[in-house]
Amino acid sequence: MTLALREWQATFAAQLAGGGGEGRLAIHRHNISSSLIRSLGATLSTVRALVGEEFFRQAAQAFISRGLPTQPVLAEYGADFAGFIEAYPSAESLPYLADVARLDWALNVAFHSPRLEAADLSAVPPERLAASALVLAPGVALVRSAYPLDRIWAVSQPGAPEGTVDLDGGAARLLVHRRADDATFIALGEGEAAFVEVLGEGQVVEVAAGAALAVEPAFDLTAAFARLLACEVFAALRQ
Amino acid sequence: MNAVAGIGLRAPHLREIDRDRPALGFLEIHAENYLTPSSSLATVERLRADYRFSVHAVGLSLGSVDGLDAVHLARVATLVKRLEPDLVSDHLSWSTFGGRYFNDLLPLPYTEEALEVVTRNLDRLQEALGRQVSVENPSCYLDFPHSTMSEPAFLAELVRRSGCGLLLDANNIHVTAHNLGLDPRAWLDGLPAAAITEYHLAGHAVNETDSGRVLIDDHGSKVADAVWALHAECLARFGPRPTLIEWDSDIPALPVLLGEAQRAQAMLAAGGSHDARAA
Repeated sequence: MTLALREWQATFAAQLAGGGGEGRLAIHRHNISSSLIRSLGATLSTVRALVGEEFFRQAAQAFISRGLPTQPVLAEYGADFAGFIEAYPSAESLPYLADVARLDWALNVAFHSPRLEAADLSAVPPERLAASALVLAPGVALVRSAYPLDRIWAVSQPGAPEGTVDLDGGAARLLVHRRADDATFIALGEGEAAFVEVLGEGQVVEVAAGAALAVEPAFDLTAAFARLLACEVFAALRQ
Repeated sequence: MNAVAGIGLRAPHLREIDRDRPALGFLEIHAENYLTPSSSLATVERLRADYRFSVHAVGLSLGSVDGLDAVHLARVATLVKRLEPDLVSDHLSWSTFGGRYFNDLLPLPYTEEALEVVTRNLDRLQEALGRQVSVENPSCYLDFPHSTMSEPAFLAELVRRSGCGLLLDANNIHVTAHNLGLDPRAWLDGLPAAAITEYHLAGHAVNETDSGRVLIDDHGSKVADAVWALHAECLARFGPRPTLIEWDSDIPALPVLLGEAQRAQAMLAAGGSHDARAA
C-alpha cells in the first residue's frame, strides 16, 4: 500500500528520532546528530574545550536525544544545555561545568543580539539620572558562579598557556555584553553586580546604588558607572 | 549575475575575507546563519558593498507536508530584502515534521502528491520573497519504490509548474547516481537548461560498507575528479552559470578554497560564449 506523504513523513521522522529503519537511513541519522553536535560545540566552545571532544560528543548526543531543535536557526539551539549538564551524571565531578555552559550561552546570545547605539547619558543632570531607570542593552547578562569562572574560561581558550585554577579561588560575577565584532565579559565587584541586577529589574539608579552599597560599603557609583558605560551596557533612559 | 565563480562564506573565513577582500565572483551564505542581528551579519552587510551575493537556505523544508514555517519564512524574507542577493535557493528535500527540525536534507518520494506539496510551498516562498527561487538537486542515499518519476523529471515538472530556477550540483548528481545505481550523464537528459541559474560543487566522502561503497555528501574535501568531469559535461550541455565551491566540514585555509574557485573560473572562461539560455 502506498502511504500518503503525511503518513510517510511521520514514519520517516519517527524512525530518525527513535531508531529503527536501519541501513541507509542511518546516514541521515548520523548527518543530523553530527551536525547538531558540531553546532553545539561551536555555541558551547568553552565547555567543549574543558571536557575534550569525546566527552563533549557524548554529552551533546545525550542532549540531542532529549529534544531536537524546533526550528532551523541553530544558534538558537542549546538554551537549556546548562540545566542538562547540571543533571548529567557523567559531569558530576565537574560542578562548575553548568556555569561554564551558562557563560558560553550568554556570550552566544550577546553575539546574536543587535548592537544599538549606546545611550548618551553625559548630558543628563546627576539628580535626574539618580531618579531614572535605565534600559540594559540587548544581550547584556550577568552570570554568577560560586567558582572563579573568568579564570576557568581564560585557561580554556585556544592558545591559552597551560594553567591551573584554584576552584576555591572565589565567586565570579561576569557581565556579558556585545562588542562591535564579538561578545565578551568583564568581572564585576559585588557592589557592581548588585547595581546591574537591580537596574535590570527596572529600578532607578538611586535604588540600585543603595542595593550596591548594602552588599559592598565601599561601592563607588561614579567608577562603576564609567566602567559600565565603557561596555555600552545601557541602551537608554527608561521613559 | 555573470557566470563567475564564488565560494560559500563560512565563519572561520569571515574576518580574513573582510580584511583582505580577495577577488571572487560572488559569495554565498547559508540563510540560517544570518537570521539574527549578529556581528557576523554586520560583516556580511559590509561585504555586500564589494561582492555579489547568493542566499542559500537549508531549512525552509520545501518538501514538508506541514507547509512552510511562517516565522522562519518571514525571517528569511527579511534577510533577502536586506541583502538583495542575485540568487536565492534551497533544496528539493524536507527537514521539518511535527514541529521538530531534522538538521539534514531528507529525501522525498517522487510522486504526484510530493510534486503538489513542493509546488505549493515554492509558490508561497516565491510570493513572500517577490522573486524567483532556485531549487537544488539533493544527494540521495535511498530511493523509494512508490516514486512514479525520476528526480530530473520531477525537477523539470517543478520548474514548469512553479517557474522556479534550478541549482545544479554535479557532486550531488554523482553521489546520487553512484548510491542509487544510475547513469549520471543520463540524469542530465531532459533538464530544462534555461531554468538553470547556478552550479554547486563540493567534495564527498567514500564509505566502504558491508553492502558496498556508499558516497556521502559531506562537503569535507576538494571536488573529486569525476565530479569536475561531470561539471564539464553540464557546462557543455547547459552553458556557463555562476559556479560555487562549498566546503562545510574540516574547513581548510581560505587559499585552498580560492584555488578551487579559480579552477571553476578557468572552466567558465574556457567554455566560451555558449549559453543555452540564449538558444
